[in-house]
Amino acid sequence: MPLKAHTPNLLIIVDDSSFDLRINSGIASHTKLFKQILCFPSAEEALDFLSENLDNREVFPHLILLDIQMPSMNGFDFMKRYNKFPDSFMEQSDVIMLSSTDDLVDITKVDVDKNIKRLLKKPLQIEELKGAAQELYTID
Amino acid sequence: MTIIKVLYVDDEENNLSSFKANFRRLYEIYTANSGAAALDILSQTEVHVVISDQRMPGMTGVELFKKVKKLYPEPIRILLTGYTDIQALAEAINDGDIYRYITKPWNEIELNNSIQNAYDVFRTRRELKEKLAELQKTNDELNRFIYSISHELRAPLASALGVINLAKLDNIYNESEKGNEYWSLMEECCNRLDYNITSTLQYYKNSRYSEVKEDVDFNKVIHDLIAIHKLANTGSEQIKFEINVDQPEKFVGDVFRIEIILGNLISNAIKYQKPEEENKLIQIDVKVNRLVAVVTIIDNGLGILNDHLNRIFNQFFRVHNQKGTGLGLFIVREALAKLEGKISVESVVDSGTKFTIRIPNSA
Repeated sequence: MPLKAHTPNLLIIVDDSSFDLRINSGIASHTKLFKQILCFPSAEEALDFLSENLDNREVFPHLILLDIQMPSMNGFDFMKRYNKFPDSFMEQSDVIMLSSTDDLVDITKVDVDKNIKRLLKKPLQIEELKGAAQELYTID
Repeated sequence: MTIIKVLYVDDEENNLSSFKANFRRLYEIYTANSGAAALDILSQTEVHVVISDQRMPGMTGVELFKKVKKLYPEPIRILLTGYTDIQALAEAINDGDIYRYITKPWNEIELNNSIQNAYDVFRTRRELKEKLAELQKTNDELNRFIYSISHELRAPLASALGVINLAKLDNIYNESEKGNEYWSLMEECCNRLDYNITSTLQYYKNSRYSEVKEDVDFNKVIHDLIAIHKLANTGSEQIKFEINVDQPEKFVGDVFRIEIILGNLISNAIKYQKPEEENKLIQIDVKVNRLVAVVTIIDNGLGILNDHLNRIFNQFFRVHNQKGTGLGLFIVREALAKLEGKISVESVVDSGTKFTIRIPNSA
C-alpha cells in the first residue's frame, strides 16, 4: 500500500459539457479539499496542459475527474495517452471517472485500468467525492 | 435471372462432352477431368452446383467432396455413382458431404431436376446467410442506439440533478418556503424520469442479455440494494429493516437479474409505505439450499386490493393515484421467467404485502 499523498493542490475536471464543468466545479469547491480547480472542455486540452507541466511542482499532487462520454477523444482515449506519463508523474496523479450511464462495458473497462481509482455516476454527489478523496489523500 | 453455374467432374472425356451437349443451353458449364482440376476451377470461379463421378483415378468423388466441403462450403454437391459403391456412398451421405446422389448412367430429366433443386438449396442458404448478416447488423446498431440513447437522455438529466445538488449546497434550496417546494418538485420530477429511463433500459437488457452464472452472496446483494434504494427515496430513513439470510450453501445464479428482481421489490416495499405508520418495517428472509433460494419480502405498508393482485405483474398496470411506470413488477416477472423462477404474492389492504420468490440454484 503506497503512502497517501497530502492534500491535493489541484482538481482537474475534464468534461465536454459546460453545464457539468460548472456544476461539478461548484460541488468540488464545497468539499474545501482542493486549493485550486481547473476545468478543461476536452481531453486533448487537458493532456496538453499536463504534458506542458510535467516539471511544474505546483501541478502536483492532483486529482482528475474525467468524463467518459466525450466527442472526438473520450475518457478511455484520454487514459491511453495518460498511462504513458512517467512513473514520477503517476505517483502524484489520480483519476476518477465520471459517467452518466451504468453501462456494463464501461464498468469492465474501468476495472481493467489500474490507474483509474474509481467510477462515479453523475450527478456527482459531494459525499462520494469527499469519500473518494479521503481514501486517496491524507487530508489536513 | 442469374445463370446457374455447374461444374461437372469426370475422368472420361466422353461423359464430359455429353453433359455439355445436354445442358449447355441451360447452364453455364465448367468441366474438369480430375479432382485436382476441379479444385483448381473452384479456386477461381464461384459455381453453384458441383457434380462429380465417384470412380476416378487419384481422387474419388467422395474424397473430392470432402475437400470441397471444407474449402468451398457453399456449392451444392451431387455425386454420380454406380450401385457397387454403396459403402462409400452411405458414409458420404451420413457425413453430410453430398446433397444427392444419382446412379449412372444418368438420365437427362432426373439430373436436370437435381441441378434445379440443388440450386434452390444454394439460393435459400445464401439468402438465409444474407438475412442473418443483416439481422446481426441491425442488432449491433440497436445496441449502439440504446447505449447512446441511454447516455443522451441521462446526461442532461444528471446535469439537472447536479444543479439541484449545488442549490442545496449553496443553501438556495431552503431559502424560502416556496423555493423549497419548487426545488423539491423539480427534484422529484427528475428522479422519476431517471427511474423511468433506468427501468426501461433494465427491461431491454433483460430481454437481450444472456444469462451469466456467478456466485451470489445474498447478504451482500440485499444490503447493497437497500443502501441504493434508501438513497433514492426520501423519507425512507425511518423504515426499519430486518434482514435474515440463511445461506449455508453456495448459490450460483445470474446476479444481474437477481438484482433487478430484488431491487424492484425492495424499492416497492420502500415506496408503498403508509405515511402515517410509526413503525415502518420491511422484513427480508432468505433461505438457500442446494436446489433453490427462497426470498420473502414482507412490508407493513399500503397493501394491494384483492382485485388488483392478479394484474400487478402486467405491463403498464399501476394502481390509481400511485406514481411509477407500471413497469417494475412486469420487469420482475420477465426476469424471473428467464431464471425459471417463481413469484407469489399475498396482501391485505392497509396491513401489508408479502412477496415470495423462488430462484433455482445452479450450483
